[in-house]
Amino acid sequence: MAVSTVYTVLSLNSTCSISKPTKTHLGFNQKQLVFFKKITTITTTTTRRATTVITCSAGNTVVIGLAADSGCGKSTFMRRLTSVFGGAAEPPKGGNPDSNTLISDTTTVICLDDYHSLDRTGRKEKGVTALDPRANNFDLMYEQVKAIKNGVAVEKPIYNHVTGLIDPPELIKPPKIFVIEGLHPMYDARVRELLDFSIYLDISNEVKFAWKIQRDMAERGHSLESIKASIEARKPDFDAYIDPQKQYADAVIEVLPTQLIPDDNEGKVLRVRLIMKEGVKYFNPVYLFDEGSTISWIPCGRKLTCSYPGIKFSYGPETYFGHEVSVLEMDGQFDRLDELIYVESHLSNISTKFYGEVTQQMLKHADFPGSNNGTGLFQTIVGLKIRDLYEQIVASKTGAPLEATKA
Amino acid sequence: MAAVTGVSLTTPKVLALESPKKVQSIKFSLLNNPWKRCTEFGRNGMYVRPVAAAPEGLSEKLAESVKNAEESCSENATSGECAAAWDEVEELSAEASHARDKKKESDPLETYCKENPETDECRTYDN
Repeated sequence: MAVSTVYTVLSLNSTCSISKPTKTHLGFNQKQLVFFKKITTITTTTTRRATTVITCSAGNTVVIGLAADSGCGKSTFMRRLTSVFGGAAEPPKGGNPDSNTLISDTTTVICLDDYHSLDRTGRKEKGVTALDPRANNFDLMYEQVKAIKNGVAVEKPIYNHVTGLIDPPELIKPPKIFVIEGLHPMYDARVRELLDFSIYLDISNEVKFAWKIQRDMAERGHSLESIKASIEARKPDFDAYIDPQKQYADAVIEVLPTQLIPDDNEGKVLRVRLIMKEGVKYFNPVYLFDEGSTISWIPCGRKLTCSYPGIKFSYGPETYFGHEVSVLEMDGQFDRLDELIYVESHLSNISTKFYGEVTQQMLKHADFPGSNNGTGLFQTIVGLKIRDLYEQIVASKTGAPLEATKA
Repeated sequence: MAAVTGVSLTTPKVLALESPKKVQSIKFSLLNNPWKRCTEFGRNGMYVRPVAAAPEGLSEKLAESVKNAEESCSENATSGECAAAWDEVEELSAEASHARDKKKESDPLETYCKENPETDECRTYDN
């Protein structure tokens, strides 16, 4: 009975339906059980409970935006990110099998393709690509992200990538960390305001071409010309609507062809730059040796022997679209575990909880693409920075209400 | 639900027989999408057609969309229709590659144990 009053005050209507500990969303059940224990120990303060802010998710949801081209789904960055927080992210059980959503204990990842206002046939009729803002419903996106941030569950539409139709909605409950992934997370100014942290994956044209060839050559329908034509046809819309979002991002992961191998066009060895905006609340950029200084570092030498082409790091302050940024760059590949741990021990401000955490996370997902170069390394580091950001936000939010309860 | 649990007890034998059509009845959501039958529980080279390519329906759709795009662009290369057609090709390629990844990683026993960790086949001993 006491429990039910808490529910009504919090207006987490979703939790009322999960009163029996059954299959769906075990993570949520666990959270609630912990919550129950908390309540029972504070039974004496019944009057206060109606006004306290000791809630599981109301107002505590941290929203992260990730802009990345070409489709959403189980992308590598999301899996690394959710793995940093613990647990594996999976599609909602018992729901639409073509859902693009991923849910883990602490994180929910939604694909912004779900906010398409035009389905595939609609877009074909109007002659617009999915990159065009006219094909997306930004009003609905803003309303629902705002609702989730305030701790209210929403019914979010599903865009079925296989059929190209918009399917009936699914229920999304506010998690601790809410990630919106897609083409336009930072396009609309209102949605941009709601993001606590934003990331843009900037893949250069040569690398994009090489990756798409690797991805699509196995398909019967594709040829080199068709892959090239597809990239070319989408380029105008991409440059007009998607690319400008990188100026708003707090962190940009830029992937370029390597400079260590002259005239390399295989795209296997990559040069990856992590561009971190200065002055973002709760976010301290990663640095090498000392913040604000410029440094170029080749870890291979006497202590460490690397195979060709080796590894090269650099760090320094720069300006990016008029903002002050710090750029950490890695060119080359990791071959062995000890290279990775050596490099990790020399990076500062990586927000690890123990020595070797970055290496451990990289090894855990050694089969993911990019696990031997800067893409995997920087994605893992960004994941750790997001965890650090989340913990700081939670600490600052619970600091104030707890004082109110003491009063 | 009771029917599902009844099936689950016999799955080890079913798995040994390598008959994927029975295995997929555990996940009853697949019954609603029969065209997906062959895609979820693929074992490399066991029964499914092209191992390296995506599920048939998707591959065919992709090949068709490439042809469509080439046609619309031969008329007018800078029109919205051309861009939209190639965008559709891109979307289907991405979906095909995701389907391939899903096929690669789904092991029937793992999938079953994820949803029913308490059954005998799925017991783990961590000392």
